Amino acid sequence: METAQEKKTGVYLCGGCGIAEAVPLDKLDAVTVKEFKVPHCRRHEFLCGEDGVRAIRDDIAAGTVNQVVIAACSPRVNADRFRFDGAQVIRANLREQVAWTQPPGAEDTAMAAADYLRMAITEARKSKPPVPYEEGPYSERILVVGGGVSGLTAARETARAGYDVLLVEQSDRLGGHARRWSKRMPQRPPYQAPQGNDIDRLIALVEADRRIEVRRNCRVVKTAGGPGKFTVTLRQGEADQEVKVGAVVLATGWSPYDPNKLGHLGYGASPDVVTSVALEEMLGAGPLKRKSDGRPARNIAFVQCAGSRDPKHLPYCSSVCCGVSIKQALQIRETDPDSSVYILYEELRTPGVAEEFYRAAQRAGVIFIKGAVKGVGADLTVTVDDALLRQEVPLAGLDLVVLATGMVPNAAGTLGGAEQQAPLPADDIDPLSPIPVAGYAGAAPQPAASRPAAQSSASGVPLLNLQYRQGPHLPVLTDGFADSHFICFPYETRRTGIYTCGPVRRPMDMAESAEDATGAALKAIQAIHNVAAGRALHPRSGDLSFPRIGLSTCTKCRRCTVECPFGAIDETSDGFPVVNSTRCRRCGVCMGACPVRTISFDNYSVEMLTAMIKAVEVPDEDAEKPRVLALACQNDAYPALDMAGIARLPINPFVRVIPVRCLGSVSMLCISEALSSGYDGIVLMGCKSGDDYQCHFVKGSAMAQERLAKIGETLKSMALEKERVQNLEVSIADAHKLPKMLDDYLAVIDKIGLSPLKGFG
Amino acid sequence: MSEGKKYTFYPGCSSQASATHLDKSLRAVAPKLGIELEEIDDWNCCGASVGHVEGGTLPQAALSGRNLAKARQQGSNDVLTACAACYLNTHGVNEKIKNDVRTKKRVNEALGAAGLAYEGDLKVRHACEVLVNDVGMEKIKQQVTNPLTGLKVAGYVGCQTVRPFAATDAGGDYDTYDQPEFLDDFVEACGAEALDYDPKTSCCGGSVSVHSPDKTLHLIKKIVEAAVNAGADVIATPCPLCQQNVEMYQDAINKKFGTNFNIPVVFYSQLMAVAFGMDANKDAALDRNMIEPLKLVELAKKTPK
Amino acid sequence: MDATATTAAPAGARTYDLNFARWVYRNVEGGDRISLCMQCGMCSGSCPIGTAMDQGPRKLFMMIRAGMKEAVLTSNTIWNCTQCYNCVVRCPRQIPVTNILQGLATVAVQEGYAPKQPTARFSKAFWFSVTRFGRTDERLVTAFYYFSYGLMEGVRRGLQNLPIALRMVKSRRMHLGAPHRVKGAADLRAVLAKAEEIEARDAGREGRP
Repeated sequence: METAQEKKTGVYLCGGCGIAEAVPLDKLDAVTVKEFKVPHCRRHEFLCGEDGVRAIRDDIAAGTVNQVVIAACSPRVNADRFRFDGAQVIRANLREQVAWTQPPGAEDTAMAAADYLRMAITEARKSKPPVPYEEGPYSERILVVGGGVSGLTAARETARAGYDVLLVEQSDRLGGHARRWSKRMPQRPPYQAPQGNDIDRLIALVEADRRIEVRRNCRVVKTAGGPGKFTVTLRQGEADQEVKVGAVVLATGWSPYDPNKLGHLGYGASPDVVTSVALEEMLGAGPLKRKSDGRPARNIAFVQCAGSRDPKHLPYCSSVCCGVSIKQALQIRETDPDSSVYILYEELRTPGVAEEFYRAAQRAGVIFIKGAVKGVGADLTVTVDDALLRQEVPLAGLDLVVLATGMVPNAAGTLGGAEQQAPLPADDIDPLSPIPVAGYAGAAPQPAASRPAAQSSASGVPLLNLQYRQGPHLPVLTDGFADSHFICFPYETRRTGIYTCGPVRRPMDMAESAEDATGAALKAIQAIHNVAAGRALHPRSGDLSFPRIGLSTCTKCRRCTVECPFGAIDETSDGFPVVNSTRCRRCGVCMGACPVRTISFDNYSVEMLTAMIKAVEVPDEDAEKPRVLALACQNDAYPALDMAGIARLPINPFVRVIPVRCLGSVSMLCISEALSSGYDGIVLMGCKSGDDYQCHFVKGSAMAQERLAKIGETLKSMALEKERVQNLEVSIADAHKLPKMLDDYLAVIDKIGLSPLKGFG
Repeated sequence: MSEGKKYTFYPGCSSQASATHLDKSLRAVAPKLGIELEEIDDWNCCGASVGHVEGGTLPQAALSGRNLAKARQQGSNDVLTACAACYLNTHGVNEKIKNDVRTKKRVNEALGAAGLAYEGDLKVRHACEVLVNDVGMEKIKQQVTNPLTGLKVAGYVGCQTVRPFAATDAGGDYDTYDQPEFLDDFVEACGAEALDYDPKTSCCGGSVSVHSPDKTLHLIKKIVEAAVNAGADVIATPCPLCQQNVEMYQDAINKKFGTNFNIPVVFYSQLMAVAFGMDANKDAALDRNMIEPLKLVELAKKTPK
Repeated sequence: MDATATTAAPAGARTYDLNFARWVYRNVEGGDRISLCMQCGMCSGSCPIGTAMDQGPRKLFMMIRAGMKEAVLTSNTIWNCTQCYNCVVRCPRQIPVTNILQGLATVAVQEGYAPKQPTARFSKAFWFSVTRFGRTDERLVTAFYYFSYGLMEGVRRGLQNLPIALRMVKSRRMHLGAPHRVKGAADLRAVLAKAEEIEARDAGREGRP
């Protein structure tokens, strides 16, 4: 799709911040005007200052230029200064990655600067200002799924911000688990006593809010579309109804861990072994009585970590159980001062102000015993392997044993309800399995053997039943919690426009859930606004480009559909991929996956990258100056390179860095083109992949690693050593490691010798 | 603080026998530092570290109660104690009477048997704290006419002088629990060299050393060895029990561990007396140390008579 | 005993019995603060004489909670404490550990658990001097203490410590005259007797375990 306007490129060279001292601007002038025949080339000693910016603006206003190449500082800075209506801006990084890391005035420094300018002008040639995808109308209504504390708070906060909310709750009452709690953890100083449960107040507020439509006995049956235009089918009783919403907040909460699995702790052997959830209901019903014979319960022991932090049950800590037991213990001590209450723990987790709560319980006479519970007898004798006394001590004479069980998220399957849907297509993605790479030879990595299956499994009706080609499930993280890129982006999931909050994403208590819900509400509001303007959501916030698929050359291999980390691509009835732009995060993994390179963005394409790669002047063998291409991901590696520059660390002068959106967007063609152009080596620099991934697009760097692993064949066919192409894991904190990392790599190249393919390209 | 100040003085039982050198030297230097000491009339034992085991908690508190009541009868000056254990007891009981209604009531009920009463309105202070806060290093320095040049001193503070009160308001807020500096400051004010000495507050075994030294010899060895290794000429200390334990058991340590220790242990007030140009025996009581502090004696001879 | 333990496991905790713990809370000075112990081990780790104790304070407190009255009151922990107060200043819960150990020593004697311990004997000697004379006469206390072991043992100990005693005499740090006495010794005795009476009266109300 061509723009109607003729492209008038202007190049602006900034000499400030040490660039003029490091790099011969005359030479850059010559590159622009003589080599690339771009007539308009201006120099300025302080381009981001008032005068510099005005000069550019004046040129644009006069119609001299409508595309601006700025050779100055890193594209990561001064974006606000160099933003011009009516002109696309391309940046060349002469400061952080040339002037600040190379010896000033050296020949190699000049060569590097010239190459970066070449790449920028080439990029300008191959790039168009992105035309946003806007296909309204878009809904500004937000769907909140789940009517517990999290859902109620999300709805309320969204409404208070001025947006309409549809809140669906599958049971007949709002309030979720919180309705059953007799008391809450303290929320006010001095944080020493349990406080009243105010869930009714929240329910009343939501019900009275004009902006919130509440539907009880209502479930999500199907979710189609994407952010801004979700079409959700709701079922209430017998009737199905389709509603349109702009974003979804998933607040389906948690279920208590199944105590029937805790036979080793006495559950089931006696009715007086109960869970903390059950105890909560008992506490709300008056003085405690034994379930077996109705006598008063005065001697009570709490067993912490019941079925938690245990590889045979829940491997994780549910964070709230210690606080809950302390709360319940305090309640018991208050109503019955003659009670004996024991809390048996291995470690006690009372972070922050909860420490005050812990002390209050100690002062109130609750006995804390540090030890592992070895067993609970039918007569309720709890055998404690006391860690301090170093012997097993029987705790006898108890009336009640309370198992503090953990939280299981309601993220995958449904709560109850055995309704079946049509079977999933055979080649659908199972979100619980590791990422397979379709079409490549070799086995996909095996799932971690030690990870137990989430309790609510992927069988049964998927929670939102997404009508996405990649599958109906919301992908979950380890242990079954709804996936989010937790490092940088809480509330996010692997499905754009769908946000999670509360215990469905991580165990948390009521107060944390309320705060979490507020955050998710804000994200949902952000989503509907951005989507309406065709802008990408995180992490490429504001990006107007989106993938365009050239269907005429598409082979229907479906790699793009499978490899998209966000399931943004659906399929037409005859097998062609369809990009749902609002679901897309513009990472470009599809672009990197496509074997025929028919996917591109207006301002980012394989053609553009290969042209930039070829624009670099590769000296021939005699010059003995290697050239290494570094494809650096914009999220971690490129900033690290910039930070090395800010710290004035010397970086090897033979490296040419091209920022890429994600390593997953790198097509293997770029690698082979670089090799055939005479580059001596190629490094992919990007974020960590794997279980504790840091890739901002979840599996982009994993994709790149997979593809690179297969490139051995290509290299062999070109008679090249496999060391020439490497993947370097670089986190944003690794700036100080970069000089050595690159020097080591160049040393390897030195050892194997320069590329024999120089001069052939 | 320029003018002199009067204190009601509680000497403590050891001042009469095993710590006569502390008593003597302190009384000698006090007037030079503007400290006037008025002894509590007919004072009794404070019970030290072990009294209450046999006597009981309240009777032990009543011992200090009597001392305080009698001090109060003599006026409202601050009470000054020389001995660490006396300080701990007297100060501790005083704080309890001040802050705990029940204790005040019970102690006064007991004191009533002798027609005594005490409200808790005095302040109880340790001599060293008074020197730090009321007198000040400058004034101490001013009194030095015979600086102890070349004398290497290991400043061993001990436990009870600084624990548990040193860093609290109640303790006069004058130093830290683990790295107290005041003793080194005294040493330097006297012109001597305060060595880099690690086990400043390492326990000497206290009263356990008195009745069961077999259990604590290794603790005392640590204190002595570090001083010897640091090249000390003397060990200085503020506490009578420390002075006695560290001095008295060096023979036993030598026997048990095959060492060769024979280092004198002196009180800070003895150092001061010599530095102030006073008499070695009449004032500094140097003849009362079991291990003769030869270097200090030499320095004392230098005093122009 | 595994390599990480520094003290022996106490024999036979039959069960957790809170009666003793509650009695300690009420009758030992500072005892009510034991409930705040979070078992961090700072006290045991800071004790200079900890390795010579049967149990460090942390374990002792746990034994109190476990109702192990016999083991607690016969433990040598309470007798070995040198009262250096390291534990007190470092305890994150500000528990007066030293005072509690001293309090336990007092009740141990009162309950008849440890009259033969050196500290108890020494304290008896000490108290004898205080009540008779109002002051501690060091010769008197020492002699009383030595002979509490019996005539032969008393003589043996006396002879063993003779060299030190002689050096003290030489240094003029041993009072050679009659013991110093307080003029109001009778008054003092009246006060002490009254104090004992008050304590017994209060203890009677609290009850014994």
